[in-house]
Amino acid sequence: MIFLRRRLPLLITMITGLLFAGQYYVPHPASEWLLTSATKWLQIIGGFALVLGVTSLFHQHAVKIRRQEAGWGYSLVLYAGMLVTIAVGLWAGGKESLDGSMTAFGWIYSYMMVPLQGTMFAILAFFIASAAYRSFRARSREAAVLLIAAVIVMMGRVPLGEYLIPLSGDVSQWILNVLNASVRRAILIGVSLGTIALSLKIIFGVERSYLGGGKE
Amino acid sequence: MPQPVSVTDMDATILGAWMATGLTLFIFSFLYQDNPLFKLAEHLYVGVSVGYTIVKAYDTVIVHLIVKPIVEEGQIALLIPVAIGLLMLTRYVPRAAWMSRYAFAFIVGLGSGLAIPRTISSFVLKQVEDTIRPLLFQAGDGLTFSFNLLNPASSLNAVIILIGVSTVLFYFFFSIEHSGPGKIVARTGIVFLMIAFGAAFGYTVMARMSLLIGRLTDLIEFSDVSYGRPTWWLLMLTIAVLVLLARRVPNRPPDLH
Amino acid sequence: MTFSERMLKIDRRIIFMVIGLCTLLPLLYPVGLPIKISPEVRNVYEYIESLPERSVFLLSIDFDPASKPELHPQAIALLRHAFRKNLRVVAMTLWVSGTGMADQLMKQVSSEMGREPGRDYVFLGWSPGGSAVIINMGQDLYTAFPSDYEGKPTRGIPVLEGVHSLKDVTYAISLGAGNPGVEAWYVYGKDKYKFELGGGCTGVIAPGLYPLLRSGQINGLIGGLRGAAEYESLIEQKGRAVAGMDAQSATHLAIIVLVAMCNLFYFSLRQQKGRG
Repeated sequence: MIFLRRRLPLLITMITGLLFAGQYYVPHPASEWLLTSATKWLQIIGGFALVLGVTSLFHQHAVKIRRQEAGWGYSLVLYAGMLVTIAVGLWAGGKESLDGSMTAFGWIYSYMMVPLQGTMFAILAFFIASAAYRSFRARSREAAVLLIAAVIVMMGRVPLGEYLIPLSGDVSQWILNVLNASVRRAILIGVSLGTIALSLKIIFGVERSYLGGGKE
Repeated sequence: MPQPVSVTDMDATILGAWMATGLTLFIFSFLYQDNPLFKLAEHLYVGVSVGYTIVKAYDTVIVHLIVKPIVEEGQIALLIPVAIGLLMLTRYVPRAAWMSRYAFAFIVGLGSGLAIPRTISSFVLKQVEDTIRPLLFQAGDGLTFSFNLLNPASSLNAVIILIGVSTVLFYFFFSIEHSGPGKIVARTGIVFLMIAFGAAFGYTVMARMSLLIGRLTDLIEFSDVSYGRPTWWLLMLTIAVLVLLARRVPNRPPDLH
Repeated sequence: MTFSERMLKIDRRIIFMVIGLCTLLPLLYPVGLPIKISPEVRNVYEYIESLPERSVFLLSIDFDPASKPELHPQAIALLRHAFRKNLRVVAMTLWVSGTGMADQLMKQVSSEMGREPGRDYVFLGWSPGGSAVIINMGQDLYTAFPSDYEGKPTRGIPVLEGVHSLKDVTYAISLGAGNPGVEAWYVYGKDKYKFELGGGCTGVIAPGLYPLLRSGQINGLIGGLRGAAEYESLIEQKGRAVAGMDAQSATHLAIIVLVAMCNLFYFSLRQQKGRG
């Protein structure tokens, strides 16, 4: 049983990993066919993964409603919003517009989901301002460098800044194109090496956390 | 040019404007303090988003990527990814949860295999090449070394890039206590990092403010008489509710800082 | 409590009000300061300008409503330019919650420019899988998207005539708000299928794409609302991005003043404590 529950999954990971890492260097039609099929499969599996991701939320709020925990009324609102959207969406054939006219599903999307999500992120504008006022202090030389660079970029990327200090546009452009690019490049190289190392650890069974806990 | 709209379309647009304005203001009310209007909008947001995702996943995956190709074109091989996908869902059945490992093993193995060569090619080799190649060309030319800082491709900038990349990599990879020349290199790396973080902060401010501009532009649009001025009416309603709530719970001061 | 201490502990809602007013007032009373065009945005514009008519232009609308204010104006400006140049537009999204926006965007701009679905453009809709979709499109576009957003089979749509995979795309732009976005389009797309790639992105991720811009892995970059405003200026059709630039200026100035004040109070407090 341990073979079926533990070793076989690790073997599957190793074989698929090595196969598709090698596939990149083999431009044979059979190898290309393999890539086409596998990525097509991933598309379909991706749909199931999406459902898996959102359904854990159902469970969490269902428990809250059943036990009538504090704020269970809001969980009810969540459920109502979800069920109405699903019903309306299925009725509209999953389309936001049909023959150029907005469907009820499209209406929910445009007038509920878009403003809700947009505003949820827009309020961060206020919090970033408040955080900047409270903690953006030149406590050390490094912090002063960070502060000066931020001010130059903030000035240089808006018309008023370029109008008041014409050089700020060019200087911020140089900061982005040269100084920022060099750091981002180093980070990109470092992160990529880390990704490659992690992928190799997964393929060779050193990293196994993706299999989850549970019984062997 | 605006499209002519029927009475029903117009009604839906006006109703939509009221709904969008109300929900926007309910979320903005959080800026005063956490309150039931915000919580209502927040939970509605999650519910609607999840519902939307489920509908799209059903329509795209089940109908267009699975059922149609299998039923209409006889692509039986697609039953394999369907089986793998279903195996994933065994996570919800404790006794059979181990079977989901096959699905995850396949996805993770495939993902890793696809990522390794492409990451090496795109982000390691190409980036290292672009750090070194400009310098080699300068050396090849022999006499030319351009000092123009404003030209991103100038020789001076190529040297600065090399210094930035190497010192930051040194700072990251050699996390021992730096002393002597190593200290100078690491400190140079820190200065480069601070400048990049400053630029990132500047751009984050820019992005966040843009989002606020977008929402306020909508609120201004919906304050128009053609929509029945929902912004004004709903703003008054939101403020009234906040005042009422503040009176009902006088002992709980908001978090001011 | 000294004045500096009191100022440093000011009610955050006063700061919120300052930011709110700095955004609102310029939107109500715009000034219209000139916008300077950066080379990275100009590169995208000039590349599209240089394309012959009926070239295949792929626009991947990889964002959700959270990034709409920044990327929606970019998409509108790019589509207006592409339709004006009479390019064949293939649009799609890798972000499920961006589907409705992308559909509305395509319908709005195509009808404004008098372009017909099927002949001048196609909206492929959304497909799950992220990077796998890009690879699959590179292998065979019709496997990745057997039908378009409307559910019509993609094979046989006139606008896709001669297009079998990403190799047949002349220019692709990903308007990305994260992953999958511009980087994924390079790693899983351009790296193997060799089409020209441009990028559009939110302000938050723009600094991270400069290494790709320097190395020529992307040929241009439209960053945030500012980038959109530059593009709107280039195509001489000003829209929401240009209208938002005054507010952007005012809020940036407000943040700079806030940071300066905070440092002023901080140093004065430190000096007082030093004396004490």
